[in-house]
Amino acid sequence: MNNETADRIVSWMMIPLGLLGLLIWARALDAEMYVFGLSLTLFSTAFGFAQIKRHYDDADLAGAHAAAHRGGQPRG
Amino acid sequence: MASPVMVNGVYPPVEYNEEVVRKFMIAAMFWAVIAFTVGVYLALELSWPEFNLGYSFTNFGRLRPVHTSAAIFAFGGSVLFGTAMHVVQRTCRARLFGGRVLADFIFWGYQFFIVMAALSYVMGFSKSREYAEPEWHIDLWLTLVWVLFAVVFVGTLMKRREPHIYVANWFYLAFILTVAMLHIVNNLAVPVSFYGSKSYSLFSGVQDAMIQWWYGHNAVGFFLTAGFLGMMYYFIPKAADRPIYSYRLSIVHFWSLIFLYIWAGPHHLLYTSLPDWTQTLGTAFSVMLWMPSWGGMINGLMTLSGAWDKLRTNPGLRFSVTAVGFYGMATFEGPVMSIASVNSLSHYTDWGIGHVHSGSLGWVAFISFGAMYYLIPVLWKRPEMYSVKLIAWHYWIATLGIVLYITSMWVAGIMEGLMWRAYDSYGFLQYSFVESVIAAHPFFVIRMGGGVCFLTGALMMAFNMFMTIRGPKPASISMPHGYALAGE
Amino acid sequence: MTDQIERDPITGTETTGHEWDGIKELNTPLPKWWLYTWLACIAWAAVWCFLYPSIPYGPSYWHGILGHTNRADVDREVHAVAVQRSAVMDKIGTMSFADIRADKGLAEAANTAGRITFANNCQPCHGAGGAGAIGYPALATGAWIWGGKLEDIQQTLIHGIRSGDPEARDSQMPRFGIDGVLKPEEIQHVADFVMTYYGTPRKDATPAELAAGAEIFANNCAACHGDKGQGGREFGAPRLASEVHLGGHTRQDVINQINNPHMGVMPYWNTRLDAATIKSLALYVHDLGGGE
Repeated sequence: MNNETADRIVSWMMIPLGLLGLLIWARALDAEMYVFGLSLTLFSTAFGFAQIKRHYDDADLAGAHAAAHRGGQPRG
Repeated sequence: MASPVMVNGVYPPVEYNEEVVRKFMIAAMFWAVIAFTVGVYLALELSWPEFNLGYSFTNFGRLRPVHTSAAIFAFGGSVLFGTAMHVVQRTCRARLFGGRVLADFIFWGYQFFIVMAALSYVMGFSKSREYAEPEWHIDLWLTLVWVLFAVVFVGTLMKRREPHIYVANWFYLAFILTVAMLHIVNNLAVPVSFYGSKSYSLFSGVQDAMIQWWYGHNAVGFFLTAGFLGMMYYFIPKAADRPIYSYRLSIVHFWSLIFLYIWAGPHHLLYTSLPDWTQTLGTAFSVMLWMPSWGGMINGLMTLSGAWDKLRTNPGLRFSVTAVGFYGMATFEGPVMSIASVNSLSHYTDWGIGHVHSGSLGWVAFISFGAMYYLIPVLWKRPEMYSVKLIAWHYWIATLGIVLYITSMWVAGIMEGLMWRAYDSYGFLQYSFVESVIAAHPFFVIRMGGGVCFLTGALMMAFNMFMTIRGPKPASISMPHGYALAGE
Repeated sequence: MTDQIERDPITGTETTGHEWDGIKELNTPLPKWWLYTWLACIAWAAVWCFLYPSIPYGPSYWHGILGHTNRADVDREVHAVAVQRSAVMDKIGTMSFADIRADKGLAEAANTAGRITFANNCQPCHGAGGAGAIGYPALATGAWIWGGKLEDIQQTLIHGIRSGDPEARDSQMPRFGIDGVLKPEEIQHVADFVMTYYGTPRKDATPAELAAGAEIFANNCAACHGDKGQGGREFGAPRLASEVHLGGHTRQDVINQINNPHMGVMPYWNTRLDAATIKSLALYVHDLGGGE
């Protein structure tokens, strides 16, 4: 298993985790579960989006490096 | 996994994942300040109960687990996770197994656990198990994060480019595996509903108490001892630039420590309904544990031989060495307190609180500070901390704080123990419980003063850390020996 | 990485030849004192396990040659204290209150026993010195609810108040407000009237309002609390014409009490304290300042 595969697995895991949070949030029987479900959804969403942003930032950076090596202009 | 190819007889430089270590260091500093602040506030509440303020969420009973969890799991845990991930990469010469996102998830997932646990305490939800208060759903979340951490750690060990596994990693591994087992078994519980936080323990009666203190004692043994010994075995030789004193001692004390610690839990339940034979065994194993604990102390202190002069110029190393001293003191005090006749005096008194804090402030926090003062310049590629003088100030004010804390709690504890057992000539108790509380009040205030000192030191450290990170990054600096391979 | 065994120049000890990230290890043998101390600890533990109950096997366990059990230890200590106490407490248990008071030595013993028993059992509610608190009767003022003679206090201590004990003192104040016995404005009037007993009447209460309150009081409250607010001990109805007020000092406290009365519970102590201790406690409470 290479690191990219691991990155994908962890990132995709945020979808079931977020949905689980939604379910708990919606059906919570007490304040604690309500807060936990809500927080889990927010956590998964924020983490997922952060990874997507990070992925494209890294890609841009790599592109810029490559462009700099070719002597051209950075892309994006 | 593609194995790295040797070029001209050496491996190419490794790109270590230092980002996650940096995050854990920042989190550790943050939680240290939170934990110490809440601790000082609790000391204030104990001195003057009006500071409970009459709100449910500022009540001592709800804030107390916030303090213990923030100190042990948030501050201690973040230091352990961060240093474990740093040490395992460096001593295996391998990048962290599992990739960047997994490491990131372990960091944020662990922080999420801490915040959820703290929130649940102030909202009044608790499993009522000391040091394992979070309800079942938060326990499950921690299990997920912990297992992934174990996978990353073991995975990195397996892809190491060194023939042997360094002793620090044995300790980290013992910490990770044993805490996983303790956490899972102690928190076995039946939830009332999948959507409700209430659950009932799988155990009952004295078995429940025994499982809890098997957990509680080994949380001390494997979280607060083994993990931090791992830290000691890396950061003291690095900072002192000396070889480890004795390889044999490290083997013998490692195996004897982890074998003996796990049986010593019953000493928390002396003179209870726990069967007599279990109590005796708890005492016996605790006494046998004394020297294995001191093996770590000897190896830490003796590694300094030939480098003691560094203590004058390197206050960060002074933290690490003092920590080992406190470790030796607390691990001697512990077996003594586990002997039944001593325990009958010390149990339920503030002596216990003092003992715990000589371990947690003196050992856990100091060894962490030492490691962090070493690690921060390394991680952020700075020649040294922003102010070495401020480290020295931190050292002295924190040491003063510990001394105030421990001595006041010794006096208060022994006094309470003696007052509670004093009979008058008619055979009636000499003192009421309230009178023992009144007598302890001055010592509670002194303890609070100790806490304020310790917190002040931590704030100095936070400032120092902030200024170091914010400060300019030199274009070229010579890294300490062994950091030639460092890369981002 | 080196696999070179070197000699450390400072200690003169050889290294193991391993190296990690620049860290080497010396091949120092185990410190002798460490090893022997550890062996001594193990020997101590073995002896300890031989003397005391320790190793489990099958359905039983090694009981140790000392025959020690925690329970026997506790029994022995409790028994020793009981023997010590019996020197005076046996006499206190059989003698009358008057005789105990007459004997200077016994009176002092009873006071000592009463003081510590009060401090550990009664003080959390009734306050230091029996000062009382809102909802918890003051014992030092003479504002007795069920009676302040030694025998009354003893009775209350033994059986409690609304405690579930079959002989407990028991009574109930009707819920005048929430059960609709009195209308809201009637409760206001009677509260104004009760405040005149408290000595802090509402300044702008009109004579007509106070007269209405007095009439409601006479019809609904006087039967228990007395026609002059002097209280009724057979019902445990507190004295209202007093400076000590069980349920609070303000008009709003009075209104709350009439609307939905709060009635305190005191536990029975006869299962927790022996008869002589209760007697000593009664004497102590009686001496706090309010005894009759």
